[in-house]
Amino acid sequence: MSEIAVIRPDSWNLPLFLHVLGAMVAVGGLVLALTYLATAWRGDSARSFRAGYRALLYGAIPGYLVMRVAAQWILSKEGLDNLPSDPNWIGIGFGVADFGLLLLLIATITAGIGSRRALAGGGEATPRVVGVRVAVGLTSFLLVAYAVAIWAMTTKPA
Amino acid sequence: MYDFLLFSHVLSAFFLLAMVVIYSSFALGGPAPNRAVTLAQVLDGIGGIGTIVFGVWLALYLDGYELWDGWIVAAFVLWAAAAETGRRSHAALRLAGATEATSEPTTVDPAMVRWHLIRSALILVLLADMIFKPGA
Repeated sequence: MSEIAVIRPDSWNLPLFLHVLGAMVAVGGLVLALTYLATAWRGDSARSFRAGYRALLYGAIPGYLVMRVAAQWILSKEGLDNLPSDPNWIGIGFGVADFGLLLLLIATITAGIGSRRALAGGGEATPRVVGVRVAVGLTSFLLVAYAVAIWAMTTKPA
Repeated sequence: MYDFLLFSHVLSAFFLLAMVVIYSSFALGGPAPNRAVTLAQVLDGIGGIGTIVFGVWLALYLDGYELWDGWIVAAFVLWAAAAETGRRSHAALRLAGATEATSEPTTVDPAMVRWHLIRSALILVLLADMIFKPGA
């Protein structure tokens, strides 16, 4: 059994491209940040901690912004912003994106402050810095939430 | 079935892009601890195989797409070129000794940066090809 391929109007392609690309960069930035932060947590140098912070600041946040702006753009293109109520998949997407931004900002600020303190302290004993644990926890949670959002965006549950 | 195939295909593409972001950090001189290099390789492997397997499966499953459609053939070529440039990028990273480093400043091999930039551009064009589907 097969299904018929759905062809989108050409005018939807650019916002969709930017939406997907932004989301991919954001997720990539989170994966990179988590790798560096986990390395820092296990006692490696504060340089890993700093690199984790930079991955969030220069990777995840810009990617998020592109993804979120393009999401609004394509929502408008598809006319989905005029519906009386959001379909479930859009609700999941907005929920993850908007609540996720708050967590992303907290993780970035926490990692930034924590890594600065760790560097000021000579770059040792990063596991004792609370910031690295908070940032690892939030980044891990965000990755799981984004996986759910990817599922919702692709399968579009009713 | 369609939902499963599409989700798996897209998730695999996310893995590939995550690998590109990690390698971009290495290319910019960021730390390259063994764990990060290994993770990038795993993401590259799963993402590469996942995109091609589920992509072909989707093309076969859906009426309206054929494996010999121009944009799908272009995707095969781009995918293969990205895989080869990725292999060269990783080889250059190893030659530079980055995989032996922990989190200390990394020596960046220009060859690694060059191959990584080419691979990143190929994957970007591949993503555009998947979404714009020229000729479909």
